[in-house]
Amino acid sequence: MANLRTTATGYVTYRGREGQVNYLLHRFTGLGTLLFLTIHILDTSTVYFFPSLYDHAIALYRNTWFGLGEIVLVFCVIFHGVNGLRIAAFDMFWPKYWNIPDERASARWTLGISLVLFIPAAVIMLLHILQNNFGLAL
Amino acid sequence: MTTTTTTVRERRVAVRQNYESVAWKWMRYSAILLIPLAWGHVLIQDVLVGVYRIDLNYVALRWATLFWRVYDVLLLAFTFAHGMNGLRQVLADWFPALRARQTFGWIIFIVWAVITAIGGTAIIGGVR
Repeated sequence: MANLRTTATGYVTYRGREGQVNYLLHRFTGLGTLLFLTIHILDTSTVYFFPSLYDHAIALYRNTWFGLGEIVLVFCVIFHGVNGLRIAAFDMFWPKYWNIPDERASARWTLGISLVLFIPAAVIMLLHILQNNFGLAL
Repeated sequence: MTTTTTTVRERRVAVRQNYESVAWKWMRYSAILLIPLAWGHVLIQDVLVGVYRIDLNYVALRWATLFWRVYDVLLLAFTFAHGMNGLRQVLADWFPALRARQTFGWIIFIVWAVITAIGGTAIIGGVR
């Protein structure tokens, strides 16, 4: 428990700038995606085990709040992927880029690329919610 | 405010192969494979098709093609193992005592095996 407290206060007080922001985002987007993935494997499994429950599960997914959560999920998957590629590429092929200036620059690029990929996806998903739950006609 | 940075020269060291070093590499190699698998899945199902057009029929239609079944088996195998190993690494970071790491390691292994088996059975069994 003491270690957990040290870690948690370290997350807040350590001033690692871009690198640390991406480290924290990577960690929490990963844990968030895993939580969703666990639920998602189980609800999709109902198509074989309890087919009559599947429509009920899908009805939950169509709820507006769940839809907004799904948009957050898409950001998590995109950011975790872009940042993961950066980590994998630097670790496996170009460790020379693990220095503070390159780390900061690449961390900013990661966030920028993630947003560029995320925004159009979020707009499309938001339109789906508005069309289906609020009667928006396009 | 000034920041001083030190330049680090690249240094190569031989790392002895053990469970953790294999797991470390696995996270990175599986990441490269997960980009087309997971992004493709999210792009198709969440963004292009959308949850409002997904129902039992849709799943049955998709799984009628062998390609998508193989795709979903790979997706299940790689995403969930990557995620559960990630959880194991995060917990080892938060609770570094050997006993805690062993306990969490076993719990995570069992949860991973059970849920993977449930998901795998569903994909292979198909829509009933």
